[in-house]
Amino acid sequence: MELPTLVASVIVVSLYVNLGIALYGIFARPSLVKKLLAITILSDTANAFAVLVGYRWPRTGTPQPPVLMNTTNYNESIKYYIEHAVDPLPQALVLTAIVIGLAVTLFIAFVIIQYYRLYGTVNVRKTATSSR
Amino acid sequence: MKKSEICVIISIVIFIFSLAYITSLGGLGYLPPVDVRKLAQIYLASTYNPYQPTNTSSGYESVTAIIWDFRGLDTFFETAVFYGAIIASVAIYRGVEISSKKKSIGMSPIAKTVTRLSLILIPIVAASIAFHGHLTPGGGFQAGSVATVVIVLSIMVFGLRRLVQKGVTKPKILLLRSLGLIGIGLTAIGLVLAGLVIGVNAYIFQNQAKAMAEISYPMWIDDVLFGGSLLFFNIFEFVAVMAGFTLVLMLFSIEEEEVKKVIK
Amino acid sequence: MIEIFTLAFLMLISVTSVIAAFKAIIEKDMVRAIVYSAIQSAMYALIFYVLMAPDIVLVYIPVSVGITPAILLFVTKKTERRDGD
Repeated sequence: MELPTLVASVIVVSLYVNLGIALYGIFARPSLVKKLLAITILSDTANAFAVLVGYRWPRTGTPQPPVLMNTTNYNESIKYYIEHAVDPLPQALVLTAIVIGLAVTLFIAFVIIQYYRLYGTVNVRKTATSSR
Repeated sequence: MKKSEICVIISIVIFIFSLAYITSLGGLGYLPPVDVRKLAQIYLASTYNPYQPTNTSSGYESVTAIIWDFRGLDTFFETAVFYGAIIASVAIYRGVEISSKKKSIGMSPIAKTVTRLSLILIPIVAASIAFHGHLTPGGGFQAGSVATVVIVLSIMVFGLRRLVQKGVTKPKILLLRSLGLIGIGLTAIGLVLAGLVIGVNAYIFQNQAKAMAEISYPMWIDDVLFGGSLLFFNIFEFVAVMAGFTLVLMLFSIEEEEVKKVIK
Repeated sequence: MIEIFTLAFLMLISVTSVIAAFKAIIEKDMVRAIVYSAIQSAMYALIFYVLMAPDIVLVYIPVSVGITPAILLFVTKKTERRDGD
């Protein structure tokens, strides 16, 4: 196994493990704040997955970020750019997803504070037993 | 450990293993890939292409070009979701006022002096990220997030009431946020309006001239790559994101007593 | 040589992110859990940087290392500090 493949496998496995840990936090922890924290870990892991799929290891040379840096000799530089730059589309999708995820996280945080004002606790198990 | 917790762990492990199996069967393939997809090659080739003026965006940066030119409508509706979340948060806190009469305490003078330096430096970095968004990594979303750090810092170090006394009030921030959104909308339909006045055809979210629509935002202004509509979109998105997050963070740091007066 | 160093670094930060995420979920004290989550986010920012995504690093560092922990600290201050019974 080559070295880049090995490292990519390690990153993929670690992302899957993080996905499982975040799901456990969402399902099994009683505190709503901890559930919100687990949701942010879950969305970050999904975003990292999307970026990893857009990565590439070209046959010659090293990968390059999707920014055109040299335009003095246009024909050669654009050819080099297409052969070495990573995929820009997942990065564009992830970029907007992070900012909108933050806005949604803010809204959920407001809802949690309102929940605390109404019930006096953020522990869902306590709420479930006391409201009967 | 309870029985229900063990059930949860076992089902999560089964789910993760089946997910890994499905993704490795499907699109994931050999990692890391040697080549990018055909669509990505087209995007990379047409980001800056002076030989095909009807099939190009006008910046050096492919990510900004995709966000605001090739897939501009997507980003527009994502900005709408962003506004929906922020307006919903503001609606929970309606009627709550930030009292600016009491004196704010804040942190020690050392922390305040150091923070005053960064109050100048961080907005400069954010503005340079926004204004060079079509040339170097960066853009409106990044610059807005960086500028929001200043608000977090000043709320924590100086206190919210000091911020309100200095003139950062809720109506002003709401106005700034609306200005950002109006700017984005006007830039999106700017060429359509210009086309109606002149009498030529144009599309929504058009940046450079297309076939059958020979009207475009300026690409070069006196030997400087201007970026066409990308620059306007970046600046307005910078204002909009910064103002939206500022509004929500100010609402967050109101004391509970003030809120309970209104809600109870 | 430099490639081997980069790849070993990438392996190290991915393992660290797993440990930090685990500690963040298991920890009962919310303030400590938020700090562990910030460490995990910083590791992800390094992963994004090595995966050639400078745009995402620029938006990810202020959002996930700065603003999200600040918001969660605000929420923790207004509600409860302990997770669980």
